[in-house]
Amino acid sequence: MPAGGKPPAGYLMEVCVPPIIELKDIYKIYPNGVMANKGVDFSVNAGEIHALVGENGAGKSTLMKIIYGMEKPTEGKVFVEGVERHFNSSRDAIDAGIGMVHQNFMLVPSFTVAENIVLGQEPTKNGLLKKRQAIDETLQISQQYGLRVDPEAIVDTINVGMRQRVEILKALYRGANILILDEPTAVLTPQETQELFSAIRKLVDQGKTVVFITHKLREVKEVSDRVTVMRKGKAIGTLPTEEATRESLARMMVGREVLMRVDKPPSERGRKVMEVQNLSYVDETGRRVLNNVSFNIYAGEILGIAGVEGNGQTELVEILTGLRPATSGDALVNGNPVLNKTPREVRMAKVSHIPEDRLTNGLALEASINENLIVDRYFRSPFRKGTSIDYKTVRDFGAQSIKEYGILTPDGDLPVASLSGGNMQKVIVAREFTSDPELLIAAQPTRGIDVGATEFVREQLVQKRTEGTAVLLVSADLGEVMSLSDRIIAVYEGEITGVFPDAESLGEEELGLYMLGIKKQPAEEMEVLL
Amino acid sequence: MIRKLYMKPFVREFLRILLAITISLGLGFIITLLVSDDPVGAYQAFLTGPLTRINRTGEWIKETITLTLLGLSVALVFKANLFSLGQEGQMLLGALVSGSISLFVPLPAILRIPLALIAAMVVGYLFGALPGYLKAHLNANEIVSTLMLNAIALRLYDYFLIFHIKPEGAGYNASDFFPKEGILPTFIPNVPFLAEAYELFSRRANITIMLYIAIAVVILTWYVMYRTPYGYELRMLGANSKFASYGGINTKKTIVLAFAVSGIVSGLAGAHLGMGIHEKLIANITIGIAFEGIVVALLARNNPIAVPFAALAYGYLRAGADIMERTSDVSREMVLVIQAIIILLVTAERVLPIIQQRVNAARANNNLSMNSEKPALEEGG
Ligand SMILES: Nc1ncnc2c1ncn2[C@@H]1O[C@H](COP(=O)(O)OP(=O)(O)O)[C@@H](O)[C@H]1O
Ligand SMILES: [Mg+2]
Repeated sequence: MPAGGKPPAGYLMEVCVPPIIELKDIYKIYPNGVMANKGVDFSVNAGEIHALVGENGAGKSTLMKIIYGMEKPTEGKVFVEGVERHFNSSRDAIDAGIGMVHQNFMLVPSFTVAENIVLGQEPTKNGLLKKRQAIDETLQISQQYGLRVDPEAIVDTINVGMRQRVEILKALYRGANILILDEPTAVLTPQETQELFSAIRKLVDQGKTVVFITHKLREVKEVSDRVTVMRKGKAIGTLPTEEATRESLARMMVGREVLMRVDKPPSERGRKVMEVQNLSYVDETGRRVLNNVSFNIYAGEILGIAGVEGNGQTELVEILTGLRPATSGDALVNGNPVLNKTPREVRMAKVSHIPEDRLTNGLALEASINENLIVDRYFRSPFRKGTSIDYKTVRDFGAQSIKEYGILTPDGDLPVASLSGGNMQKVIVAREFTSDPELLIAAQPTRGIDVGATEFVREQLVQKRTEGTAVLLVSADLGEVMSLSDRIIAVYEGEITGVFPDAESLGEEELGLYMLGIKKQPAEEMEVLL
Repeated sequence: MIRKLYMKPFVREFLRILLAITISLGLGFIITLLVSDDPVGAYQAFLTGPLTRINRTGEWIKETITLTLLGLSVALVFKANLFSLGQEGQMLLGALVSGSISLFVPLPAILRIPLALIAAMVVGYLFGALPGYLKAHLNANEIVSTLMLNAIALRLYDYFLIFHIKPEGAGYNASDFFPKEGILPTFIPNVPFLAEAYELFSRRANITIMLYIAIAVVILTWYVMYRTPYGYELRMLGANSKFASYGGINTKKTIVLAFAVSGIVSGLAGAHLGMGIHEKLIANITIGIAFEGIVVALLARNNPIAVPFAALAYGYLRAGADIMERTSDVSREMVLVIQAIIILLVTAERVLPIIQQRVNAARANNNLSMNSEKPALEEGG
């Protein structure tokens, strides 16, 4: 930063009309046919903190990417400071004073903080980076906006909180007047969240405008001036924060959806299969992700976990399946402890697992379909004969699974990568269902797959449960949890906030209040139902 | 029909390698044109040299055997998506123990040779397990640890060679020649009706029974990799380590074993250097070949069956280069250029996606950086 540059004066331009950003009737259809925005009107006033809330997949990120020039709207108009704009890339948006920090950061890990901040418009001399100046400039804007960073640290070595501050500073360095933050608090500890909020307030004091996305209604109340709620691609409404109650926001967010009907014979609850007692988990950063969670799962029932994503469900599933150690507590399957065991030991206790992220955990994409089907059983009879794997048996088993589970492929020896998303999921389902489980843990079993495959997976889940398997269902799709589960527990910030033994008669709005931590059942009441 | 043939991965691989080699040979000739007064003669020496005399052919085959073993050793680690530069250390120790047994253990050949080979494999296994253990349990970077272990092995080798093995008072750093009982026999049995061939080969091109052992190791490696539970674990670890853990595979154990089993084969390669090629222990016995297994494995795409073919081709290049260097005015450096081109061409398919990723990342960053010359703070006023 040249020393002669004027600091941003303390005055605030009193802009009343027009809004600094205005979107009119935005439609966005992705090439894969997903309609992420359906006629959204959205406006942001200069100098405000505007919160954007909505469930996963509501279309928030898409809308923000349209403002930032990363995605083009299929239809609709974008106005910045009253002028219609057609951004061809985020570069155009940056030129118009818009900056965005994405859900996943985009820093160069091997560069220093200062290098990352100045990247693309480095102070140079004869083509060489002026390191000193880059560091000085970084320190200067860091102080100006109260965003603490170490300019000389390598990005790879700094924590998430600081990475985020680097991203924000980077946008500010490029002249952002309007700053969009996509779920900035999702990765932060409570303290870091507080720091971020005070930085946001400081930015606004200095004349910036901030839009931030969150799931957490508490944060909306705490820091924003106005709030817009999105649901299923539509903007449901915008209101001043002081007029919004957490209840009203929850209602707007969750809404009333038409439940799909799943044919489900009544549940015949059998013996207790899994028992989880006082399970707690504190992650590497010291965040308490699960707090004293206790529940049972019985044979022949689907126990659904309802919660906004990021409230500990992912960790719960990983802990119960041996992929993550617990901090304290107990978990038993048929009386055998399964906590802090290896995934193999957990599987041997007759637990199956449909993982949340099938591409990272559930499959080896370059390996064949057949080989993906045997990862939990290649070492035992009938697949193992003597010192080797009997590939004839493997192939026969593959062919049978492909037929039974309707996996669309000409040949089980082809790599899984050659399948569509829905068929990949069927490979996982085939494997996890044919291992004769007594407990089936299904995390996001239908996420991102087509309608036909979704229906198939749901039917299979219900069938397993009717045959007497205990099922734990974790899904971000509330409709799915409500229509499949026999019993539902609501979780919020790693704690169980309510237990509902009769999923059928439960109102979605009612459940929403528990999922968002607004209501909580008294402990004694829950204890009987768990 | 031809199309169908082309669809077979093996055929496709073979054609791909052939094309890569042809292109790089073409480029190599252009370079020769620039540096040699007799480019045709020089290049001919390079291209046909290894076939012109039986002893030259022998050199080529012996080199191919070493390269095959090294290539398998590397492929075993690469297949698990791990990286190892430890073949040098494993070879050195393999050569050291097998050489010591050949020299000093007074057993008949029929016992001494197997003992020496087994000892080399055991040492390779143990020394290989070390970086595996460091990687699996302490998350030590395997490139660094294998290189450091190489340095340690080299010192050990030199120490024993100089202070315990070389004849007292000798002015050179080498052992005596191994006794007959400690040298691998010629690959053609000394029976009456093969007497002529035996004579020819044992005199002029001493290819040993290591030829058969190498072929057996190729088949065995393929079998282990594609037919045993351990090989399955190895390949799943390599395809997606998270999937392997999720499925219940003990990934730590698999990592340790990947390095250790790779060490067995390198140890055997080390025994071949002493007992099959030099017939004594010399200083820097692995020089020039220690890291060539990586090239072979890359050429063969970690497919054990393709490894000997890649080794033949690559060994031919190396042998030809030797001959060209000896018989023409072109230096060995030129062949290094050709080799580099081959490696580039053959591995391009694998390297390209990585480059693509880098470019994308750079683009994403460029998107964030704007072209306006004015830094942020100036606009405040
Ligand atoms: N690049 C993309 N290509 C295709 N579909 C996408 C893409 N990005 C998002 N989507 C889909 O659009 C919908 C809205 O996604 P998104 O805007 O990310 O929601 P949110 O940020 O509210 O969670 C989702 O169904 C998502 O799967
Ligand atoms: Mg999003």
